[in-house]
Amino acid sequence: MHIVVAIKHIPSIADELPVRHNNIDFDSVDFVLNEWDEHSIEQAVLIKEAVGGTVTVIGVDVIGELDNALHLALAKGADRAVKIAAEEPGADSHQQAKWLAEAIQNMSPDLILSGVQASNDLDGQLGPLIAAYLDLPYIGGTSAIEVTNGKAMVLKEFPGGIGMRYEIALPFVAGVQAAPKPPRYAPVSKVRQIAQTAKVETIEPGEGESGGLRFLKMAPPVVTGHAEMIQGTAKEIAARIVELLKSRGLL
Amino acid sequence: MLTPFEKFVFFILALISAGFTLHGFVTIIRTIRLGRPAPPLKNLPQAFWKAAVTVLLQRTILRTRKLLSVIHMALFFGLITYAFVNLMDVLEGIVPGFDLVYSGKHVPGAPLALVRAYNLISDVMSGFLLFAITVFLVRRFILKDKALTYRENVLLYPKVKAGGPHKDSLIVGVFVIMHVSAHLMSQAFRLAEGPDPWMPLASFLNSISGASQIGVHIAWWVSIGWVMFIIPYLTRSKHSHFFMAPVNLALAKQNPRGQLDPAIPLKVIDGKTFEPGARVITDLAWKRILDAYACVQCNRCQDVCPANFYGRPLSPSALEVNKRYLLKDATFGGHPELLQAPLVEKVISPEAVWSCTTCYACVRICPVGNEPMADIVDIRRRLILEGFELDSGVQSALQSLATNGNWMGKGRRLRGRWAKELEFPIKNAAEEAVEYLWFVGDTASFDERVLPNTRMVARIFHQAGLDFGILYQQESNAGNDVRRVGEEGLFEQLVEQNLAAFGRAQFQRIVTTDPHSFNTLRNEYPQYGGRFEVEHYTMVLLRLLEEGRLTVKQRLSHYLVTYHDPCYLGRYNGVFAAPRKLLERIGVEFHEMPRNCENSFCCGAGGGQIWMGKVPPGERPAENRIREALATLQSYAGNGKKQLFIVACPKDMIMYSDAVKTTGSEGKIEVRDIIQLVAEAVGVVEPVSEAGA
Ligand code: SF4
Ligand code: SF4
Repeated sequence: MHIVVAIKHIPSIADELPVRHNNIDFDSVDFVLNEWDEHSIEQAVLIKEAVGGTVTVIGVDVIGELDNALHLALAKGADRAVKIAAEEPGADSHQQAKWLAEAIQNMSPDLILSGVQASNDLDGQLGPLIAAYLDLPYIGGTSAIEVTNGKAMVLKEFPGGIGMRYEIALPFVAGVQAAPKPPRYAPVSKVRQIAQTAKVETIEPGEGESGGLRFLKMAPPVVTGHAEMIQGTAKEIAARIVELLKSRGLL
Repeated sequence: MLTPFEKFVFFILALISAGFTLHGFVTIIRTIRLGRPAPPLKNLPQAFWKAAVTVLLQRTILRTRKLLSVIHMALFFGLITYAFVNLMDVLEGIVPGFDLVYSGKHVPGAPLALVRAYNLISDVMSGFLLFAITVFLVRRFILKDKALTYRENVLLYPKVKAGGPHKDSLIVGVFVIMHVSAHLMSQAFRLAEGPDPWMPLASFLNSISGASQIGVHIAWWVSIGWVMFIIPYLTRSKHSHFFMAPVNLALAKQNPRGQLDPAIPLKVIDGKTFEPGARVITDLAWKRILDAYACVQCNRCQDVCPANFYGRPLSPSALEVNKRYLLKDATFGGHPELLQAPLVEKVISPEAVWSCTTCYACVRICPVGNEPMADIVDIRRRLILEGFELDSGVQSALQSLATNGNWMGKGRRLRGRWAKELEFPIKNAAEEAVEYLWFVGDTASFDERVLPNTRMVARIFHQAGLDFGILYQQESNAGNDVRRVGEEGLFEQLVEQNLAAFGRAQFQRIVTTDPHSFNTLRNEYPQYGGRFEVEHYTMVLLRLLEEGRLTVKQRLSHYLVTYHDPCYLGRYNGVFAAPRKLLERIGVEFHEMPRNCENSFCCGAGGGQIWMGKVPPGERPAENRIREALATLQSYAGNGKKQLFIVACPKDMIMYSDAVKTTGSEGKIEVRDIIQLVAEAVGVVEPVSEAGA
């Protein structure tokens, strides 16, 4: 059983996003592991713990600092870490999916997992694109995956608390919404120890355009008006709200 | 007095008793030596001398439960006297003609006065002993003092649950009564020539029983026989504290209270390697094993434990008692495999482990110098390493600390943002030399509720002309609570980050807002090479006032206040005076709560508790504290003064503001940081724009 987890290194939104020259100012923003990837890594390690096998974690190293995220994954139980040394902070999901697919193809995986979305990929394209490149089936929004005898039982959640079970033959690509258990904590001492001893394999990105969307321009939203902060005692505030509702013809 | 046959029997029994006693001690010492190396101790002779004085004066015992402690003193001196009395009894038994009654007049050349004094003291002490032991037995078995029991939800070792400690106490209680009564009777039976004025009790008994040679023999055997049984028994019971408590006191923690022992012993013996923290009992330092033998099961630590108060399944005394019973089963009971049993299964539940606020109250109060808190931190360390499923709040705090250097999930760059809204710039200490490096801390840097106070500190420093700066995004959480939650690796990472930042800065001393940062910077950073003078802002403010760099323009006599000592400022670091002197200078009417200074009651936030996602129901420590404050101030109220609950810790601001709301005390009492009072008194105000925002 070989599980490959494709991860993304993305600009942190813990800071405010600095915008410069029509794009994110990549030099003054921290990059972090996509939070859904924590779930896909956890899901992979849980499957490995249940049925054995190896877990390979692979990602595009867009700013040259992916090692931290890979070490974290190794500390959590992944066996192998690979980075695609692209150093292109603006590489979009199409481009990353192409590079990832080319690399994963040579790994003969039984199962490919990715985070179902990322804060810079809210429409969740990475997984489906990898699946398309590799000509494999895709299922997104999974909340549990169990593997038995070449097949997987996948739980996928729909809005309104509806869950559906799928039986899917391996190999396929899954976009993980959540692991069945909260992602485990990797103690820092273990991560640091791995950082000193573990080897991260590096491969070069493939050549060629990926197609897809072309990025034109980014700008912070223009502030058009301010919210009115209503102040005063409860009575005064209530009176003001009534007044506003009336003025809008709502009362 | 004894017949030759009796003497023969006595010697045989004495030998057997001595053998068992020796075996008991050897076993205890061997077991203690199974523990890991502990931090080295200095000046042992002085330490033992100090411990001897402490024990003689019962100093640590008298800290609380005053009446019972005085009675314990009677028991203590009674038993010491009795060690000598027993010696005399044995001599009377085996040396022909040696008989001390009637002032020793039958013994040629006996010093009259001395014998009289001895007879009187031993006679009176016998009375004291009988009285004291009765009080303790009545307390335990008839009044069933709640303080000697455990909460339902506290994990108890099976034998503890089955009442082992009670049985122990009963045996020793019965021993003392039988032994002392038998001694008294043996003296009474000796008085063939009427009463002896120097032995009032024995004479009184003699007036009922009369003299009897056979009686003397029987009573002697009962009295001394018990001793030969009880001494080896003591080594196998909770009463090993007779011997172990003084030793433990002498070997008690010498490092600062605020310095945790390392997760891995620093001293390596025979190239042995250790995993950090503790999974089984022998992973603990040898002193933590000694703790178990020294514990008297008095439950004083449980009385002061905020987690226990809150109904959490944590009892520091149950931890020690469970340890002892486990050790006893593992050694005397012949089950060495118990030494390999996980501590979280046998001596403390994981939930209890995660309930500790690391407030140090249990360690401070323990009369025999035990450190249950140290065990808890060591257990946490290993649980974290072994991937124990953490509380979700704690986990996300730790993850944020690892990536952002703060526990609030905020970007590093935002750390100094609060300073932007000031009317003046604050120096960046990483770029300009400053006298004071102000270590702001997470809560004071990010929490909206606390930011106005943080800015107030800045304004007052500014007004006083203090040369200070902050590290902006180069400051990371100091790691005090990270270490106490057991994440030693992350703590080390944070220490390295901060030391690197300090290395880039030029400053003469550090001032902190947060008592937690204050503690670790002051007591733990030196071990990593960071030796600085560290002060809390209350200390700096006081000096500024004393030096006249700040002047009180308006005395705030219209406030009626009490003050809460933060654990990490007060109990840990002994900073009690600075905040109180500040309050005095400011001129508020100040009254102490019953639990103040060393006895301050934890707000419940420390040791990572503030990160916990799940908050169990029950009266929280902070709520209890607000009620304590209200009750304190109530008796002085009535003059229309505004009642304030003064804090000197950003976390307290949050904890107690919440508690005022949840106890429905709004309008009765208000929580203020001491900085707000200082600002008002020295006339520093927020600019209107901010005040109105
Ligand atoms: S340190 Fe405080 S919370 Fe922890 S066990 Fe001791 S008294 Fe209880
Ligand atoms: S640890 Fe100390 S305070 Fe607690 S029960 Fe034992 S002797 Fe008493």
